[in-house]
Amino acid sequence: MIATWYAIVSLMLIIYVVLDGRNFGAGMLQGVVAKTSEERRQVIAAIGPLWSWHEVWLVAFGGTLVAVFPKLMASAFAGYYLALFLILWCLILRGVSIEVGGHINDHLWQGFWDFVFIFANFLLAILFGAAAGNLARGVPLDANGDFSMAFFTNFNVRGQVGLLDWYTVSVAIFAIVLLAAHGATYLVLKTKGPVHDRSATYARYLWIAVVPLFFAISLESWVVRPELPGAAVYNPLCWLGILIVIVATTTLISGLRTGRESRAFLASNFLLAGLLITGGAAIFPVMLYSTLSPQDSLTAYAVAANHTSLLIASIWWPIGFALATIYFVFISRRYAGKVSVKRDNQGFY
Amino acid sequence: MNSNLSDPAFWSRFQFGFTLTYHYLFPQLTMGLAWFLVYWKWRALKTGDEKYNDAVRFWAKIFGLNFAVGVVTGIPMEFQFGTNWAGFSRYAGGVIGQTLAMEGMFAFFLESAFIGALIWGEKRLGPRYHFLAALGVALGSWLSGYFILVTNAFMQHPVGYKVEADGLLGISSLSAYLLNPWAWVEFAHNQMAALVTGSFVVTAVGAFYGLRRRHLNQSQLYLRAGTCAGLIASLLVAFPTGDQQAKMVGRHQPVTLAAMEGKFEGSSLAGVAMIGQPNIAARRLDNPIEVPGALSFLAYGTFQSYVHGLDEYPVDAWPDNIELLYYSFHLMITLGSIFILLMAYASFQSWRGRLQSNTWLLWVLMLAFPFPYIANTVGWMTAELGRQPWLAYGLFHTRDGYSKVVSNGNTIFTLIGFIGLYFVLGLLFLFLIGREIAHGPDGEAAIESRAGVITAGAQEQVA
Repeated sequence: MIATWYAIVSLMLIIYVVLDGRNFGAGMLQGVVAKTSEERRQVIAAIGPLWSWHEVWLVAFGGTLVAVFPKLMASAFAGYYLALFLILWCLILRGVSIEVGGHINDHLWQGFWDFVFIFANFLLAILFGAAAGNLARGVPLDANGDFSMAFFTNFNVRGQVGLLDWYTVSVAIFAIVLLAAHGATYLVLKTKGPVHDRSATYARYLWIAVVPLFFAISLESWVVRPELPGAAVYNPLCWLGILIVIVATTTLISGLRTGRESRAFLASNFLLAGLLITGGAAIFPVMLYSTLSPQDSLTAYAVAANHTSLLIASIWWPIGFALATIYFVFISRRYAGKVSVKRDNQGFY
Repeated sequence: MNSNLSDPAFWSRFQFGFTLTYHYLFPQLTMGLAWFLVYWKWRALKTGDEKYNDAVRFWAKIFGLNFAVGVVTGIPMEFQFGTNWAGFSRYAGGVIGQTLAMEGMFAFFLESAFIGALIWGEKRLGPRYHFLAALGVALGSWLSGYFILVTNAFMQHPVGYKVEADGLLGISSLSAYLLNPWAWVEFAHNQMAALVTGSFVVTAVGAFYGLRRRHLNQSQLYLRAGTCAGLIASLLVAFPTGDQQAKMVGRHQPVTLAAMEGKFEGSSLAGVAMIGQPNIAARRLDNPIEVPGALSFLAYGTFQSYVHGLDEYPVDAWPDNIELLYYSFHLMITLGSIFILLMAYASFQSWRGRLQSNTWLLWVLMLAFPFPYIANTVGWMTAELGRQPWLAYGLFHTRDGYSKVVSNGNTIFTLIGFIGLYFVLGLLFLFLIGREIAHGPDGEAAIESRAGVITAGAQEQVA
């Protein structure tokens, strides 16, 4: 039961990263793939009306975490206090810049909001990347299951660690490149003309850059948590994740080569999901690893809500998920195809 | 509220209260406005009259801006349960987490899947799907209100829970928790209050165009719908929903009721103070002017009923800021009464067809729109200050709920950040809404220019 719920909340987070990751990526690239004001509107229109739907996955993830892992939520959210608020503020800036940027057809107005948009997306990619690094590396949990973390301490990965150290910073860099590649693949699918062509070029180079970074991060993770790969070998879900990554990579390469844009983008989604599945399965059952003393780590079994609460959540959650899937089908059908600034413009007049 | 400014609970309460009060300025309009959009879209489908579609297009823009600010300011609310109230989340998360998660799964997905379709999708969707989108958004927004009010109702009047072996709360009956009688009363009361806000805003924009003699067709549409819905909602918010809410407080939180009225000595024939200032040190209401028996009647149904006084309870069971609670409550009921009178008179004038020519009434209606926001805010302050000193009434103290590991330095830092960010966001919002209202609905201008083109074309043919 608890393992299933671990899988479910991980799935929700993975869906969020895959869905909103394309927006972070497209947003980071807006400044380079779009040169004119109209091209920049094109990038915004590609993210279009769906950013809030994507963000709901984060909200639903947070809510589900409270319901099924209340002790983890309490410990982690209070511990990551400043980082979380930075993420929240960036999400506010990102949403606002999408919504209001198109309101006034003026180059100063749009230039300002485009800047805010790009800035917020970069920071979000860095913060989520660092957060992923923190999950892998661990946090300075004490025996009470509490921690409080500074932004940085001595940039080391053991003991009284901070949010940023050499490992989490490198994961953040990996996240920037990976999400930018993902976003570029998305823009290839959704846009036409010069934005499309530039995105295609960026997608190619960014995916190539992902490869060495991936191996570097894997190596670093092995240095930071040497015990993880050994356990992962016996975990079938890790192998499933790796299989997904391999299949997705080949599909992605063939999709990009032959110009099958939706195939490439689909593969890109699965590639991200595969990486996250591998990571999520490798750290299980530990949800928060203690860098001070590993026996103080919080496992899923220690932080889960009681059996009845989990049982009750298992009744309504599948219904909610089924409904969300139906909406997703509706949305994908309605918003399929390339965007057109004229038709999908959210500038009001 | 604890006056000690080094108390971490104070700063976490301040931040949560500030961010929540600010956030709720936006959903109350979306929840109220949503049904206007559904109604007009439905009329447009039925009659084919383009003026209803013009109204939908115009209000959908206002709705969209509101919705966007509501979304971005709403996400921090959920996360603050963990960041600032870790003690409470650890204790009650197994219960309140259920509805927090359900809100995301059942309400937000629905709402946000269709919001884009409602605002930007008319050309892509066609009229029928566009109507469904409006309906989906309205249902989603009310559903999210319901789940959040169930969460709040648990804090006001805990039901459906059990204390586990480890001392933490778990859910024992989902139906008891979701069907908490407090939640239904609170939901009805709150949703009617949101409709009051929506109606007053629609009316105010109609009055503005009426006074400016612009968009007169649209102005008439807004004034009619706004005053009619405004009257119904203002009546319903007082009776039966507000009345039931007061009875609920009287039954389950008698000490709160006494504090709301600044009533220190228990008595039958208890009055409602029209004017008076609570004096805690002297344990009395200064300068009181009371309607005798009114409180007994409101809370328990007869004038003779005995109403408990604060003196009957130990001081540490009192809400910790009685003055603010007292003023919040009185401001709410005073404003609520004025709303009924104003909307009754305006509806009457509208029914006689004299509203658009009644300049002074249009002025009053135009300037009245901020007051439902104030009434909603002080209503929530009444509920939340009245709940103190508990986080979950009778179960869990507020002083045990905040995050022990978060320093005051961090909380004050993020509070300052929120104040700055929300101030800028507020300016931006007012600027853009003002711009949309100044621009006005598109329909008539578009029709005029189309007519111009046709005339020009006809002239060319003649030539």
